[in-house]
Amino acid sequence: MASASAASVTFRALSKPSLKSNVTSSLKIVSLGWRKNGFPSLRSSQFRISCAAKPETLDKVCEIVRKQLALPAEAELTPESKFSAVGADSLDTVEIVMALEEEFGISVEEESSQNITIVQEAADLIEKLVQKKPEA
Amino acid sequence: MGGASAPRRLSGMQKQVLALYRGFLRATRSKSPDDRHRIESIVSSEFRRGARQVDRKNFLYIEYLLRRGKKQLDQLKSPDTTGLSSLHFVPPSQSMGSRK
Repeated sequence: MASASAASVTFRALSKPSLKSNVTSSLKIVSLGWRKNGFPSLRSSQFRISCAAKPETLDKVCEIVRKQLALPAEAELTPESKFSAVGADSLDTVEIVMALEEEFGISVEEESSQNITIVQEAADLIEKLVQKKPEA
Repeated sequence: MGGASAPRRLSGMQKQVLALYRGFLRATRSKSPDDRHRIESIVSSEFRRGARQVDRKNFLYIEYLLRRGKKQLDQLKSPDTTGLSSLHFVPPSQSMGSRK
């Protein structure tokens, strides 16, 4: 498991070499997060590899999720964290999506917002919508 | 219900409730920050109370709540509405103090 998470983090480090310190800290968090899932789910990363979200977007999404759920600072939250695993019910998810909409100035359709269950999915969707949005 | 790892599959009624909640939150965006905050906390606690107390099989009652909620949402959408439980009106010039 440890090696698997290291591989993923290396990948991220390659795509963003400037964030050295961030990367080391996320290494710890990522492996913690996966302990809960049992195994690193490759489903989403394979599926979305073509439109992987920028680290800034991921960070911002994490920040908003933390704020919405009033998560304590020590609570672990990774791109693979399920909203439901960090204590969000469906109402919370609606709130999170609404907060994301405002933060990024986008509009998430009803249908797609119901498919968001993890941070990564939210970030990917946001990137897609932000790109689509004409520069204002 | 639904464990943390279970895939979230929502019933039609649950989707309606969530859509209504979304509608409320969207409607509050046009209010002044103070009103907005107040309305949001009322809406949020109402929905959460419903989620806690109403039996999920009590379709008749949930349908009633949905209908009532939709009417309240229509009222809330009026730019003159600044509160939920107690509706009071302010001149449009003040109520237009929307964010953004």
